[in-house]
Amino acid sequence: MNSLRHCAVVLCLLLISSAQAEDKLQVYTVNYPLQYFAERIGGEFVDVKFPAPEDVDPAFWMPDAETIGAYQQADLILLNGAGYAKWVTKVSLPRRKLVNTSSSFMDDYIRIEDKVTHQHGPGGDHSHAGTAFTTWLDFTQAARQAEQVALAMKKARPEHTRVFEGNYQQLEHDLMQLDANLREITSLHPEKRLLASHPVYQYLARRYQLKLQSVTWEPDVSPDPAQWHELELINSKHAGKWMLWEAKPIAETQTGLTSMNIMSVVFEPSMNNPAKGDFLTVMKANIENLRSAWK
Amino acid sequence: MMDSLYVAWQYVTWNRGKTLVLITSITLITFLPMALQVLLNESEQQLRSRAIETPLLVGAKGSALDLVMSSLYFDDEVPEIISMQAVRQVETTELAYAIPLYVRFQSRGFPVVGTTLDYFDFRELKIEEGRMLAVLGECVIGADVAEQLGIGPGDSLVTSPENLFDIAGIYPLKMKVTGVMARRHSPDDLAVFVDMKTAWVIQGLGHGHQDLAKTRDTSVILKQDERSVTANARLMQYTEITKDNIDGFHFHGDESIYPVTAILALPNDTKSAAMLRGRFLDDENYQIIKPDDVIDGLMENIFRIKSVIDAVIVIVAIATVLTIVLVFILSLRIRRDELETIFRIGCSRMTIVRLLAAEILIIILTSAVLCAVLLWLVQTNSSELVRGFILR
Repeated sequence: MNSLRHCAVVLCLLLISSAQAEDKLQVYTVNYPLQYFAERIGGEFVDVKFPAPEDVDPAFWMPDAETIGAYQQADLILLNGAGYAKWVTKVSLPRRKLVNTSSSFMDDYIRIEDKVTHQHGPGGDHSHAGTAFTTWLDFTQAARQAEQVALAMKKARPEHTRVFEGNYQQLEHDLMQLDANLREITSLHPEKRLLASHPVYQYLARRYQLKLQSVTWEPDVSPDPAQWHELELINSKHAGKWMLWEAKPIAETQTGLTSMNIMSVVFEPSMNNPAKGDFLTVMKANIENLRSAWK
Repeated sequence: MMDSLYVAWQYVTWNRGKTLVLITSITLITFLPMALQVLLNESEQQLRSRAIETPLLVGAKGSALDLVMSSLYFDDEVPEIISMQAVRQVETTELAYAIPLYVRFQSRGFPVVGTTLDYFDFRELKIEEGRMLAVLGECVIGADVAEQLGIGPGDSLVTSPENLFDIAGIYPLKMKVTGVMARRHSPDDLAVFVDMKTAWVIQGLGHGHQDLAKTRDTSVILKQDERSVTANARLMQYTEITKDNIDGFHFHGDESIYPVTAILALPNDTKSAAMLRGRFLDDENYQIIKPDDVIDGLMENIFRIKSVIDAVIVIVAIATVLTIVLVFILSLRIRRDELETIFRIGCSRMTIVRLLAAEILIIILTSAVLCAVLLWLVQTNSSELVRGFILR
């Protein structure tokens, strides 16, 4: 009799847990920062998925029909906005489920006119013409994006409003802490000039008043003579002593840069899932890297 | 009585021509008003059910009926075009969510309906075969489209030019059919559904072509400088969206100015619906309508016309009955000798009356059976008949 009662209790618990799993808000995102924000805010009440393979740049990725079908089934689809993830304009997604997380600062988007195409990863040729899209590298903007995520979740699951609100407050605090730390560092030597290996740091430069000039290099590809020449031309006027990289550049590039008296510093935009840690730890590491450059 | 029926049957089968005319006249005069009533009832039911299902419709100022017929029944008449700005205007009120519709193009005689995936949820349309729209250039088709054209997932459909003389117009787009929807016995069965963006590609607002920055064919370049490259009319645009060329497809300009023919506005609740109607009441560019009200007005007009038709049918029926009576009277005169002979060989006058009554009974019964069969056919196919001939 006792064992029968135990079985019934276990069965009930299983049923409750499976019902809770089914009831979880299904959230799909177009990049890793939004995945991180959604997980932090939604906690146990959401199931967040970002299905881009780890070796692609999510901004220029094109999902297959099956993955698009999975996005269509989600309860919420978190978009970055600012022209990020161009595939969104070429597929059919339910408008009602789309959330443009940067819609509250659309007027502050940075327009760019870069017409140079380049290639990295399996995504094919692309250019960064249009709108700068790494909006979250301005941590105040990241907080505003997180706020939109929280609003969308509260609307979808009003019964968990207090949890979402509490989690958002904590996330906002963390992001504003990053913002304060970075401002503190960059304000030490506001005259410092930097170079960027890729045109993805526009919002970072604007918020933290970095004097930044970009080239279009890849960390894993050795620049050709024309690219070295372009850098020489830029730096003849700009005189940058540090170059920001999305990942550690290959030794050959580092040696070439060192010979030009340019040091390399990694500042990962964290568009895709990090190999280790999370958005917060990656950004903290980025800030520490910058701190060493600012000494 | 059986004897009378036997003799009467022999008579009507011998005089086939006269019998056939009489049966046809009686059948038609009884069938027509009944069939008309069946079709009207079905039309009303279809019109009303779809209108009741659709809470509010936003479109350009103008004919409310055109707007409803285009947006709910995919009629050929294209209402005045509005822009996606109106969609944002509805959405920003947060009183309703908006489903844009762009019903303008056709493919092999069927309307191409540009919309968003929300439409399928709203109308509870399910895919029976294949899969839902995923990528630009794909379409899903209604059950009747699949049946009539004999196509299914994996086949293609090409859009038709808006008119035959549109030789300088837009390129036709070859669309890939990805799915067939389950039958809903509604105008959705007769439509080809595409994403809004695909509808804009059909119009030429979004297009794909070779990369001008990379092309070696200088004959397609009109002007080139450091910042831009301008192509001439020789630049070929893609007429089919494939995995290989989808990256080359792009849209020009702000999406808010892109066209739509109507917006299905689905309010949060009754209060929101009233407030939304209030917001658009004095709008200079848009009208907001309750399709149910428009269909009520339409049905009132239809029933007014039907009462006139009923009166005409009554007059025609009286004329037909009088003609039939005349035919019988004249027939009796012609058959005077025949009836006299029947009387002389010993049949009573009552027997002769029974014989004549049996003839009339056979004709009326045959007409009634024919009328019932025809009515059954109309009743059984009324849904398709209405959608195929009346609501198109």
